[in-house]
Amino acid sequence: MKIKLAKIKEKMGHLLGHAILMFIALIAIVPLIWALSTSIQPSHAVFGQGIGLIPTEFRFENYLDILNAAPFGTYLINTIIVVTFTVIMQLLVIIPAAYAFAKLEFFGRDVLFFIFIAQMLLPLQAIVVPNYDVMRVLGLINTRTAMVLPFIASGYGTFLIRQQFKQIPESLIESARIDGAGHFTILKHVMIPLSKPIITAFSLISIVIHWNDYFWPLIITETPSVRTLAIGLGMFVQQESGADWTLLMAGTMFIVMPLLIFFIFNQRIFIESLMIKSGMKE
Amino acid sequence: MKKGIVFCLSILLLSALVFLSPVGAQEDQVLLNFYYPVGVAGPLASVVDEMVNEFNETHPNITVQPVYSGDYDDTMQRVQTGVMGGNPPDIAVVEISEAHSLLQMNATIPLTEFIEQEEGDFLEPFFDAFLANGNLYGEQWTIPFQRSTPVFYYNKDHFAEKADELLAAGLDPERAPDTWDELVAYAEVLTDREANRWGLIIPGGWNDWIFEAFAYQNNGQLINREGTEAYFTDEAVLEAAQFWYDLAHKYEVMPKEVRTWAGSPTDFAGEAASMLYNSTGALPPILNTANFEVGVAFMPQNKTYGAAVGGGDFHVFKDIPEANQAAAWEFIKFMTNPENAASWSVESGYVAVREDAYEVPVLAEHVENQPARAVARDQLEYAYPKMSAVGYQQIRQILTDILDEVMEGDMEAETAMNDAQNRIQAILDRH
Repeated sequence: MKIKLAKIKEKMGHLLGHAILMFIALIAIVPLIWALSTSIQPSHAVFGQGIGLIPTEFRFENYLDILNAAPFGTYLINTIIVVTFTVIMQLLVIIPAAYAFAKLEFFGRDVLFFIFIAQMLLPLQAIVVPNYDVMRVLGLINTRTAMVLPFIASGYGTFLIRQQFKQIPESLIESARIDGAGHFTILKHVMIPLSKPIITAFSLISIVIHWNDYFWPLIITETPSVRTLAIGLGMFVQQESGADWTLLMAGTMFIVMPLLIFFIFNQRIFIESLMIKSGMKE
Repeated sequence: MKKGIVFCLSILLLSALVFLSPVGAQEDQVLLNFYYPVGVAGPLASVVDEMVNEFNETHPNITVQPVYSGDYDDTMQRVQTGVMGGNPPDIAVVEISEAHSLLQMNATIPLTEFIEQEEGDFLEPFFDAFLANGNLYGEQWTIPFQRSTPVFYYNKDHFAEKADELLAAGLDPERAPDTWDELVAYAEVLTDREANRWGLIIPGGWNDWIFEAFAYQNNGQLINREGTEAYFTDEAVLEAAQFWYDLAHKYEVMPKEVRTWAGSPTDFAGEAASMLYNSTGALPPILNTANFEVGVAFMPQNKTYGAAVGGGDFHVFKDIPEANQAAAWEFIKFMTNPENAASWSVESGYVAVREDAYEVPVLAEHVENQPARAVARDQLEYAYPKMSAVGYQQIRQILTDILDEVMEGDMEAETAMNDAQNRIQAILDRH
């Protein structure tokens, strides 16, 4: 009898836990559903009385209007190119940098590291003019390269990964070195495999930031052929008149969906990499 | 080790290939970069692109590259970045209050010479109120393009619904309030707490612009034309601020939490309020979304009718070749000719910048079908330049913050205006 009661208690606990989780999930998903629902309604139907979460009238042409208003297909491809290269280049730069800052001894290391991460303190707006100037001198205005280049040496990423690398015991590196491993081999076989969660986490953050970045791409690009999704969406946010909410939400869906689908399909990988308990033994 | 380096290099090479971008235009052509903001709803970026295409087709020696640059603030930042970074645009449409700032940066050229070269009086057809902001130190620096004023919107169905009560209060349910006093009287009747409906909304965000209209209606002014002196503690301005405070906190006919500028047409169309101050630019979205008859009227007067104009003007930039400046002038002439001014007004909801555009059939018919379109134009008779000074964005930020506090009741009107006077005068003195 006692055992049964305990079991029931445990089950109730589970149920309660799930109820709370579902409630939180609901809070997270309602805005998305609302946006979706707004995006498929005619604009006059959205602003009647009531919440209007469930559409009674449909207008899927909103999506066509969006596609006609700006070349969203091109924007999507550009965004994917820019984000992919930003993340790849970032990882190529910051992982070795983090390794050097964490594990190598060289003159001025700490000062250099301090300068390196000091860039975290500068908001983009503060360095937009010098960055613009550099891009102009390099002849890179209105290119996708210009949207990638300023972000490659990420102070934030270097800091994050360096802290992780510092945790990895010196003895592991020593034994790899005894086996004849060079720096790159150590990185590849010791440091990176043991730091997967943090690297994945940084990549995710970086993908989301650069997917949604608006200000810098707006400043540095000129023609639709190189511009990104966020700029396209900006066309529907209006300062002087009310926004055209149905179109705005259709545009929002266009921006959110690719990323959402990407996350859903790779969910397992992300969660796994974040769950791995770094089972390090000396 | 080697493998790693080879891998890195190949990635670099690959990225270089991917990023190679197309370069346009032939050599004997003048290539113009044209930055423009989009301020009102609708696919206006593609409308601008179409107009530019037409220009490019009819002017074989000039190629204009339209560059959508976000909203007004984004566009100004983009222009400033370009100017400071040694790569100014050739032409830009910039918010009218920024003229002083661009002048101080020595970024633009006056257009007076171009204007004088034209036959007849080139500026004559343009509405005077629209030219004023670009007329500084005896020169014309800008040509108006996308221009608006605030107007007064009201829900005719609500007026009809409350007709008996309005009549009982001695008010005509067939028209909009004509004076500040009437505004209060109408709003008190129309505010319906059971239906959760406010009599009136004065939105935030650009409330500095609406407030300037109230100052003009009271024969006052916020900042002088030269951008050197602020008048927030003048009786006329103080009274306007007190009136705003009272609307929300004495008569309680306006929401006590400030509604956003972009959200307020939605509030109005969604019948959360019966009357609204907003830009003419909000007319198309309101007509599209409202399920009731929309009325548009002059903003109520106190001592006089009054409005401050708004919107964006063409500027031509300084550190570009002379040929580009001449070509830019051609482009501006094209964009503001009567036919284009008319069709731009129809597509965008902006007021056409010149009187003769209203004789062009497409706009004449449009105004006939939607008489509301004529209200902003007619109100221009009482319209004045918008306040403008160096550091305008900063001034605007201070003023909107302070006005928000007045509307939310966090600050008494007089304290708020003293505060505005001190802080804004300090900015004016600095330049």
